[in-house]
Amino acid sequence: MQFCHAVFLAHFVYLNVLLCAFTVPENRVTLPLQIKNLIIDTQERTPMNPNAFLQISHVSKTFPGVKALQDISLEINRGEIHALIGENGAGKSTLIKILSGVYQPDPGAEISIDGKRCSQITPLLALKKGIVVIYQDFSLFPNESVAENIAITTDIEKGTKFLSWKKIRSTAKAALDRLGVELDLDAPLGTLSVAKQQLVAIARALTFDAKLLIMDEPTSALSKSEVELLFRIMRTLRESGISILFISHKLDEVMAISDRFSILRDGKYLGTFGGDELDNDILISLMVGRKIEYTIYQKHNRANAGKVLELKDFNKAGNFKNISFHLNKGEILGITGLVGAGRTEILKAIYGINHQDTGQLFLDGRKITITSAEDAVRHGIAYMPENRLSEGLVLRKTMADNITVTVVDRLKTKSKLIDRTKQKELVDKWIHELNIKPPYPDMSASKLSGGNQQRVVLAKWLAVNPKVLLVDEPTNGIDIGAKAEIHKLLRDLAESGISIILVSSELSEILAIADRILVMRRGKIAGEFDGATATQEEIMNKAILGVKQPVTA
Amino acid sequence: MKVAQRLKQSRELGILLILVVVSIVITLVAPAFFSIENLFDILKSNVVLAIMAIGMLPVILTGGIDVSVSSMVAAVTIIVGKFLMNVSGNIFLAFLVGCLSGTIMGLINGLLVAKLKIPPIVATLGTMSIILGVSLYYTNGNWITGLPKNFIDFGRITIGSFYRQGEEMIGFPIQLLFLILVAVLTWFILRHTLVGRGIYAVGGNRVSAERVGYNVDRITIFLYAYEGFIVGLAGVVHTSIMRQVDPNAFNGFEMQVISAVVLGGASSLGGYGSVSGTLVGVALFSVINNGLILMHIPTFWQKIVVGIVLIASIGFDVTQKRYRESHNTKVDIEEA
Repeated sequence: MQFCHAVFLAHFVYLNVLLCAFTVPENRVTLPLQIKNLIIDTQERTPMNPNAFLQISHVSKTFPGVKALQDISLEINRGEIHALIGENGAGKSTLIKILSGVYQPDPGAEISIDGKRCSQITPLLALKKGIVVIYQDFSLFPNESVAENIAITTDIEKGTKFLSWKKIRSTAKAALDRLGVELDLDAPLGTLSVAKQQLVAIARALTFDAKLLIMDEPTSALSKSEVELLFRIMRTLRESGISILFISHKLDEVMAISDRFSILRDGKYLGTFGGDELDNDILISLMVGRKIEYTIYQKHNRANAGKVLELKDFNKAGNFKNISFHLNKGEILGITGLVGAGRTEILKAIYGINHQDTGQLFLDGRKITITSAEDAVRHGIAYMPENRLSEGLVLRKTMADNITVTVVDRLKTKSKLIDRTKQKELVDKWIHELNIKPPYPDMSASKLSGGNQQRVVLAKWLAVNPKVLLVDEPTNGIDIGAKAEIHKLLRDLAESGISIILVSSELSEILAIADRILVMRRGKIAGEFDGATATQEEIMNKAILGVKQPVTA
Repeated sequence: MKVAQRLKQSRELGILLILVVVSIVITLVAPAFFSIENLFDILKSNVVLAIMAIGMLPVILTGGIDVSVSSMVAAVTIIVGKFLMNVSGNIFLAFLVGCLSGTIMGLINGLLVAKLKIPPIVATLGTMSIILGVSLYYTNGNWITGLPKNFIDFGRITIGSFYRQGEEMIGFPIQLLFLILVAVLTWFILRHTLVGRGIYAVGGNRVSAERVGYNVDRITIFLYAYEGFIVGLAGVVHTSIMRQVDPNAFNGFEMQVISAVVLGGASSLGGYGSVSGTLVGVALFSVINNGLILMHIPTFWQKIVVGIVLIASIGFDVTQKRYRESHNTKVDIEEA
């Protein structure tokens, strides 16, 4: 009966993806009707599945101004490997934080663990119930031994005052034995490879009597053979009845290892599917979906305007490989791809703060070397970092000081002090031109809204009259209206002759304003598209799949 | 094989090697260095430095620093001196008073750092100044002399005297016992108690330490109080060696203590260091000091040499960390 249901669902989804691909007009915001039905359908399933370890329903999470999760339902069975997939910003991390008790969901959520209803999950309760999260940084101690890293937590939990190293070693050994791996118990953790450190983190989780292991991108730093070892261990754990929930961007891996997977998109739950129910193409369509539509700007082919910037064969171990591309004058070149594909690393390399191992950089046809941000600015290259709060602004300083920080040199009087009248003129000009609100130069940058903060950062860089502007996720965390205005600004800047490289995870943003699009995947350029004709599906395809490479274990 | 490999990576062994080389060089230039008299002299005049360095070690291990130790130890000597003169000549009580007053001062440092979240250097700079001011106000900078005879006799006890030098027998000074006691106790705490492992954890990765459930505040308060306790002990030991109290005897001493710990291989960024390393560090520090005097090299060179070694070792830590961070794998590059 259940099987029929599943097959029926699968066909349904397939059908309506086809349908929506042909029939849903481009500018519709809503989900296709059938997928809506599917969501409702999954929610109305009977809540008591005896095989479920964890059941949640109606879980929402609202942050100021953003609905990160909306009415999520999810069921994780005992002894299953369950993947959580979705685009960047789909809400996966938020969901994990709710399951581990770091965030509290909005009122109305229903959560039951092991068949028992829980009014709320706290970090402590999560641990007690055996929900253990392995963070991407593993939370391990590099100078301490493998044994201590695995077993010390049991002593902390019990509050043991005096330690028995014999017991620590035997606890650690037992945990490693359960994984079926052998490691030198006395080696300092920092001397181990990332893959082995991950095994230590997993072994530690086992000492907690873990029933549900949550792993955030567990394969992101592993080589192919290491991934296979990890998968073998995941299967071993599954056989011993432990459930595993993991986040991954790599669909080939998800397909290879998971029993079931759940898809999130824009904070909404799209359904849970068996490992063999869907193929890649359908998956991608589901993940991408139809999203908020932005004004689509007129694209230009600037190939004739000449190359402003050109990268030849940039390489940096663990960052990017064989990167060659160019930027035309007055063009917006969009670079997209998944988080961790190497986009930011490339921008930072161009800007001189993440120096490449090899590779040549040309500006206006001349070879240049940039080894510091100062070099970059002198060559007319400006960089708006992803995190405007920690890297782009001095929050305690005034808007005026922030805007003019890049051009202090030019504002000096003869006595080497700052010429306040000149500063004011400059600041007023940019406040007016970028329409920064409220227009008070003496206001502290911390009091501005996200969109206006971003404009201050932009003003600061425009003040140096850059030839090339590198922008990294410029609309991250600001509301839709402000996003549209930033888009317009960037477009206007391009029209005025500034060449822009725009890194963004949001495909609709890239498609709205980029003249040309590069897709990165795992440190390499996976494809190039014309901004006027590209579609979300083909970009996502490149970003996720690149070269198809089935993973076997 | 494994043991050999681990020894090769051990910083302590490297520093020990430097100590040996430096000692050989000094002996070649000034043979008087390697005489029993001189070596015992080095031992006795650096026992206090060694005790205090071991007290400083846990602070450095968490990535903190305490510059108030010089004021603290001076204050303890004053308190103990006054106590011996005016209240009781009982040696046991003198130790009790010394350790207690040290612990209280350390506790204040710990509370400032853990609860008020004041950066260690600022908090201890403040307490350093306050304690120094109060000490000078109280003593007017005057020495305390004429301590009770039983206390002075206590300070002269030697153990296992084996070598005759004129009329005096040379043996291990009783003060060495306190160093051994402090070293063993600190080693035990660092190695065999949860709080000791917590100290390493906090220094290695503070966020992770909190995440795995260490009570970081309590650990911080404990280690500053413990340091105060050891500084208190050091104050009494110092008084027993000098047989008088000079309120200004320790001016600038904090730099020597911190230098010795860092010379002993403890990472100034926290998370790495050991009691054995610290002892070797103190030995290296004192041998350089003593050797320069014996070789008739002006003593300011000692300060310069220690400064250079200090900057070199901290520079090594920091650049190594930066190198590791900039060469972190951020992207899983697909190999075609």
